[in-house]
Amino acid sequence: MRRVFAFLCVSACLGAGFFLAFSASADDITERAKKLHFSSIVLDTHADTPQRMLTGNFDLGKRDTEGHVDIPRMREGGLNVQLFSIFISGRILGLPAIQQALDQIDIARQNAQQHSKDLMLATTAEEIRRAHAQGNIAILAGMEGGHMIGNDIHMDFGKEVVHEMNRQGMLVDISHVSDKTFYDALEVSTVPLIASHSSARAISNHPRNMSDDMIKAPAAKGGVIRINYERNYLSEEYRSAFAALAGDLRRMEEKFKKECGDDNVCIGKAEIKLTRDLTDAGKLPHVSWEKIVDHIDHVVKLVGAEHVGLGSDFDGADMPEGIEDCSKLPKITEALLRKGYQEDDIRKILGGNILRVMEQSEKVSKEMQAAQ
Amino acid sequence: MVRAILCAGACAAAGVLLAGAMKADGISERARKLHFSSIVVDTHDDTTQRFLDGKFDLGTRSSAGSIDIPRMREGNLSAIFFSIWIPSKVTGPEAVDRALVQIDAVREQVRKHPNDMVLATTAAEIREARKQGKIAALMGVEGGHMINSDLGVLRSYAALGVRYMTLTHSGNDEWADSSTDKAVHNGLTEFGKGVVREMNRLGVMVDISHVSDKTFYDALEVSKAPLIASHSSCRAICDAPRNMTDQMMKDLAAKGGVIQINYHVGFLSQEFRNSEKADPEINKAISAKVMERCGDNEGCQLIEGDRITREYVAQGKLPRVDFARIIEHIDRAVKAAGVDHVGLGSDFDGANMPYGMEDATKLPAITESLLQKGYSEGDVKRILGENTLRVMAEVERVSHELNAAPKK
Repeated sequence: MRRVFAFLCVSACLGAGFFLAFSASADDITERAKKLHFSSIVLDTHADTPQRMLTGNFDLGKRDTEGHVDIPRMREGGLNVQLFSIFISGRILGLPAIQQALDQIDIARQNAQQHSKDLMLATTAEEIRRAHAQGNIAILAGMEGGHMIGNDIHMDFGKEVVHEMNRQGMLVDISHVSDKTFYDALEVSTVPLIASHSSARAISNHPRNMSDDMIKAPAAKGGVIRINYERNYLSEEYRSAFAALAGDLRRMEEKFKKECGDDNVCIGKAEIKLTRDLTDAGKLPHVSWEKIVDHIDHVVKLVGAEHVGLGSDFDGADMPEGIEDCSKLPKITEALLRKGYQEDDIRKILGGNILRVMEQSEKVSKEMQAAQ
Repeated sequence: MVRAILCAGACAAAGVLLAGAMKADGISERARKLHFSSIVVDTHDDTTQRFLDGKFDLGTRSSAGSIDIPRMREGNLSAIFFSIWIPSKVTGPEAVDRALVQIDAVREQVRKHPNDMVLATTAAEIREARKQGKIAALMGVEGGHMINSDLGVLRSYAALGVRYMTLTHSGNDEWADSSTDKAVHNGLTEFGKGVVREMNRLGVMVDISHVSDKTFYDALEVSKAPLIASHSSCRAICDAPRNMTDQMMKDLAAKGGVIQINYHVGFLSQEFRNSEKADPEINKAISAKVMERCGDNEGCQLIEGDRITREYVAQGKLPRVDFARIIEHIDRAVKAAGVDHVGLGSDFDGANMPYGMEDATKLPAITESLLQKGYSEGDVKRILGENTLRVMAEVERVSHELNAAPKK
């Protein structure tokens, strides 16, 4: 989940037709790209869809006109592995945070079980490969925020948490953390780090993005950065225009919060509508999906194709024009082929890289458990 | 867990009790052979409270309490349900958090002893553990208040390996009446019935120890799977509301359930219960001493409570209860419910143990006594564990069936 305003973070969606004019012709996918894309494991490390599940009448099995992720659109876009984010506001701390996190894990599991013909819960790289071989979409969960473990975080305890995550075989995600926390985690973790949904600061200088050094250092240890499709993180032009409107946006945010209460999905919709209106009024620039490819290419040039992947922030961020939802993912494969990328490298970017980190994490976990 | 703060199991110095205890060499060869070739399942142990201080090690033989790996090995306790327990008065998100801490503590103890223990969640896994020469560790949540009226939390516990939930502890929870509180729900509320149905679907056994008689009958009606009374004894012998009447046991059995007999002296002996009632100052004094020694350390409270109670017995202020009472309760339950419907639910490390059943090493005495009473070897095996394993398998079958049924 991104943080657009002070602390609200949300999901959105557009009428499908609305942006057709801006999107690079979606149908323009070559046979070669289609073949490559639909035979690959396409793995996204961050979607906030559980927020939509919490609204009660949401059904993952039905094609929705809103939001970014559901089974029909995952099938259409060849998205076959999704990590669902367990997210609660950083304002909720202590004991209620634990129970709310459990509820979200439960609702993600319930949804997977309700759609057992399409979805399969997975926890290892092997299980992902098995799900893929069986034509199922693999579902995993990721915790977005250490506050959900309910303890006071101080330096030594935080390091212990990283150590325990290594032992448990959980990936250490440094998206959202401060630069200092990032470097501490890099030092402590015996497993390569991932940035589950962060983009490149060299292109958009947002604190949620990674500097070149913050991409290089974990890559040297085998880590992976997963590009976030949020407009603010993709485009510097958008980010600075957005920042210039910060005061107005914050006032609007207060209004949305009053109208929506605790409903993150409702707040997200209002927020997206607002940014759309501002874009139409010429106060915010258009952001094309091709920026995603620019970010991928930047990381590849910096550290090679082994250290980048997809971390959309679907259902939690403001998508660029042309990747309105997960059905549009084949465009990324097409664009990378056009850029001259090798098919093998594209497969790594689409999913192989994170499977490599998962396998390493599982190996370290087994070793640590055997060592005691 | 018997009382709010004090209640416990303890191992008195061996010498002192030798006269009263069943001597180790009092076990016949036949009983020994039968006992050690059986799967012995205990559905209720409060040892979890001892895990919480961070110092207790299940692998080391302890001079206090009733349960550790060496003593389980010595008494052939093959499968143990560690109780996840917090007092009824702790509610809301704190109850959820503390339950998770205890679930983690059990899992961590098991993880630290991979050669001796393995976490089990099914009857088949208990049998597999046995084949591998390991003790199966299981978990039961003792009190519905720990789900904080949230089925998502119930499902989370199930996912973490919890295999039974006692619908209440000693106080009512938000959706069910307890046997030791003033009834406010008239049994199970509609939500409470939903909890039972979801437990059926999840394959979590519905435990009716602690609940009011009306809650028991409501659960019996709603549940599609057999129920257990994980640690209750017979009211006909000792008139405690925590115990079951003959009729309740009969009705439980008619739906395939099992009552697992609790060894707590206050549930075994009417005489003990009468003495406690006659002089409430004794319990107050014991509680005060326990608090003085233990503060809010619940593991300590449980162990000390039993130890101090024994001091009062030694002084003649409370009657001495012999382990043979356990056999009387088993026999009564067998007569009321049938031999397929009785098992063992000690309440070790959570109650006051009778003389001769101070800890898990004494379990062969039960086998010996049942054989002496004329029970067949097959019947003894059923009581020791097979009945509980049968209920578990049946609960699993119902769960599979409910999950396979087409959605509404």
